[in-house]
Amino acid sequence: MKNFDVIIIGAGHNGLAAASYLSKKGKKVLVVEKNQNVGGLAEYSDSLNCVSPIIKKELNINVTNVDKTTHIVSLEDNQNHTVLEDNNGKLSFLKTNAEEEDQQKFLSIINNYKLFSKTLGSFMFQQPPRVKSGKKSDLFQLISMGWKIRKLGKKNMRELLRIIGLNIADDLEDNLSNNNLMGLLSHEAVLGTNLGPRSPGSILTLLYKQATNNNIFNLKKIEVAEYIKQLEDCCNKNMVEIIKSSEVKKILTQNNSVTGVQLTNGEVFESKYLMSNADPKTTYLNLLGAEILDTDFIRRVKNFRNKGNVAKLELVLENEININNIDKNMYGKFIYAPNIKYIEHAFNANKYNKYSDNPCLEFYVNQNTISANVYYVPYLLNSHHEENKIIKRCVSILSKFIPEMKIAKQELTTPNKMEEKFNIGGGHWHHGDLEIDQLLMMRPFYGSSQYSTPINGLYLCSAGTHPGGGLTGINGLNAAKKVIEELK
Amino acid sequence: MNTTKISYKKPLLETPFHERTSEHCYSNDWYRWAGYKVAKEYSSTELEYTSMRNTAGVIDITPMHKYDIKGEDAKNFINKLITKDISNIQSNQVAYGIWCNEDGMVIDDGTIFCFNENHFRIFCAERNLNWFSDTGTGFNVTIEDISSSIAALAFQGPLSCKILNLLQVKNIENLKPFHFDSYKIEHHNVIISRTGFSGDLGYEIWCDPSQAIDVWDNLFKFNRDYKVLAAGMNALDMVRIEAGFIQPNADFMSAEQALRPNRMRNPYELGLGWLVNLDKEYFTGKQALIRHKEKGPEKKLVGLDVEGDKPAVGSVLYDNSKKNIAKEIGIVTAAMWSPVLKSNIAIGFVNKEYYKLGSNVYAEIYHPEELDYRKIWAECKVVKKQFFNNPRRNAIPAFI
Ligand SMILES: Cc1cc2nc3c(=O)[nH]c(=O)nc-3n(C[C@H](O)[C@H](O)[C@H](O)COP(=O)(O)OP(=O)(O)OC[C@H]3O[C@@H](n4cnc5c(N)ncnc54)[C@H](O)[C@@H]3O)c2cc1C
Repeated sequence: MKNFDVIIIGAGHNGLAAASYLSKKGKKVLVVEKNQNVGGLAEYSDSLNCVSPIIKKELNINVTNVDKTTHIVSLEDNQNHTVLEDNNGKLSFLKTNAEEEDQQKFLSIINNYKLFSKTLGSFMFQQPPRVKSGKKSDLFQLISMGWKIRKLGKKNMRELLRIIGLNIADDLEDNLSNNNLMGLLSHEAVLGTNLGPRSPGSILTLLYKQATNNNIFNLKKIEVAEYIKQLEDCCNKNMVEIIKSSEVKKILTQNNSVTGVQLTNGEVFESKYLMSNADPKTTYLNLLGAEILDTDFIRRVKNFRNKGNVAKLELVLENEININNIDKNMYGKFIYAPNIKYIEHAFNANKYNKYSDNPCLEFYVNQNTISANVYYVPYLLNSHHEENKIIKRCVSILSKFIPEMKIAKQELTTPNKMEEKFNIGGGHWHHGDLEIDQLLMMRPFYGSSQYSTPINGLYLCSAGTHPGGGLTGINGLNAAKKVIEELK
Repeated sequence: MNTTKISYKKPLLETPFHERTSEHCYSNDWYRWAGYKVAKEYSSTELEYTSMRNTAGVIDITPMHKYDIKGEDAKNFINKLITKDISNIQSNQVAYGIWCNEDGMVIDDGTIFCFNENHFRIFCAERNLNWFSDTGTGFNVTIEDISSSIAALAFQGPLSCKILNLLQVKNIENLKPFHFDSYKIEHHNVIISRTGFSGDLGYEIWCDPSQAIDVWDNLFKFNRDYKVLAAGMNALDMVRIEAGFIQPNADFMSAEQALRPNRMRNPYELGLGWLVNLDKEYFTGKQALIRHKEKGPEKKLVGLDVEGDKPAVGSVLYDNSKKNIAKEIGIVTAAMWSPVLKSNIAIGFVNKEYYKLGSNVYAEIYHPEELDYRKIWAECKVVKKQFFNNPRRNAIPAFI
């Protein structure tokens, strides 16, 4: 039997990033992936604004931008769409019916958010400090966090502390009057979260997005498939063994320490170090087993909120797609979230585990195909999605803007299907809600922060850890560094 | 009848024995226990206490929480819950155990009845359904709160077996301590366990609520010769202090209820280290308890033999015979004048330097005397908590 220094469960982009780093440090690594392909949920990701410089440097990832300029199109029922251009992070209006004053205020709000998220940004790529650890390094980090906030100056600090728990709708309504612009920013704040524009904390998610993506709008500047491929290549180059189409059934332990994994086909691989790219809840409750975890800890695991609500819709048309009132050279990321009220209504249904007849959409068009994120389509526990009904609703919304729609193929992937395919409980974008009690040193929860777990040798590296989801790769990298520290 | 409308008139539930307990309860002084009312004192606490020490006393313990644990993982569940190892438990055996949280702090204690490998029943003073249910995650068990479906009496005292014997409860004298079995009282099917809070011979009787009154009446049947009394919570408190049994939320705060983290106590601090088996593969709190044991307790619950005859209720404990230079080193959690031992006893926490048996500490007793306090500086000797432990308690066959 082969022996590995580290076994990684799951070849999501975070698992791959961890494997790359460990193997570069000379460790023998095995990755077990349930699916035929690596990349996990990245399969559904269209937008990738940037790859963090840390990942680029540490893993020699060298992806180039597809385009310097990209567009954001916010669709309106009355066909008075707003088009924004992002040029290297600089935003300008190409088209809008918003008043000049609103446009200026819109840009200045974004600049303000950027300033605040810089304060957050410096924590994004590090291990978050651990609460009550008694370690000097953790204390120092906490102090430096406080200091960074203080350094904003009195006025800005007060403003940051004011808005950090606030809902985005309030802040936008205080400053803007154009519904479409408010809808657009609200959309970026709530997509992938379990929040509506009026939920407290919906500004924080936006700041968070800016901090991890280096942009308030997550845009398609890098080909996701290319990024994943480079991560896989990096693994292959360093002799990482990746077993695909194999599922880990159980994490094996003895005396509170990891001993290996058992696959569904019965095969056992031994190792003293394990990293899980599965979400925290699945890792603890299904792979490890609650029987060997303290009851208080299980409570926290169970209380971790991980109900996803974004579905993926892929449409193939027989004809080329044209959007009303938008020139081809303005195509980019399309958003249908026309105003705050509309989004909030869609969210209302979600609260009661239902889906609204009027969902929000974010999509990209490529000749005759559409790839769309549809929300809110909640993860359902005890019932099934009426997929055709949801598709029909989406198509009827899209047909407001696309005059001709002859559908050749349609496929909706609900959070439930994502769970089934990737074992990600709840099919959640971030493997768990990004809310203030599930962030930073509290992510995923007390007793499991800093990528470690109560079980010796077991580490988490998924989007369920700090800094959350999206294709940052930081979770994997940080977790791998932690393992290297322990292996020393 | 619309009970919600009159709920303000009947804020507390009545146990199935209420018809009798209310007859006996001259003082009409009720204690609130888990939503029920049970007598604090029927007529005289001292008399009720005396019945338990000399004849037998009957205590309504129906409000006790009762949980049925069923399923193929029932035993594994119990082993995860409590700190001691019950792998070898047999049917009809009762285990006494405590359960701790992840920090190794005690939540509650209870008796665990083993009906068979797949069926256990836990009796405890506090509500624990939430804790048990969360502990049951991942186990193939069902956990059911059956509290209201069983009526329960404690029947404690040197003549308890004799009276059951007179009631023709067959072979009751051979029931071993910490065992239980099914018996008949008259034609009623009951479960009797040789368990209790008194540190003396005694039983607990579990029956269907519909039979409660009949079972109660039977226990008083021979009162012409043996003066059996209904005993209240105050009397129960006296016997349990003498026996050295501690009580959550009296001697220590349950870890599930304490608001201040430094009020929680680990088993070593409570003198319950003997209930912890660190060799067991896994139970909640094990990792923390390994650390607690290594470190040793900072303070410990001990027995105190207090000078004089004034109970040291709520006293602060000091290190020196001279009040003006004395430093605080502990606190009394329960205290009484023990009639049977003819001594002034107490249970309390003392700091590390003082928990060795034989150590001397000093209690400042505030003794109320006609609207004034007499302050007494009393010397106390640290002794074993178990002040009263009569050989009758464990004798087989039991005294009849
Ligand atoms: C609809 C949708 C759209 C999104 N769009 C974007 C976007 O545009 N831009 C963006 O940045 N982010 C987007 N995200 C978020 C992003 O895709 C995820 O946050 C990210 O991919 C998570 O990566 P990960 O490596 O942590 O986990 P995952 O990608 O979930 O990887 C986990 C891997 O582990 C495997 N696995 C799990 N259990 C086992 C087991 N027992 N045995 C073997 N293998 C196992 C799974 O098969 C999977 O491959 C989107 C998410 C969703 C749901």
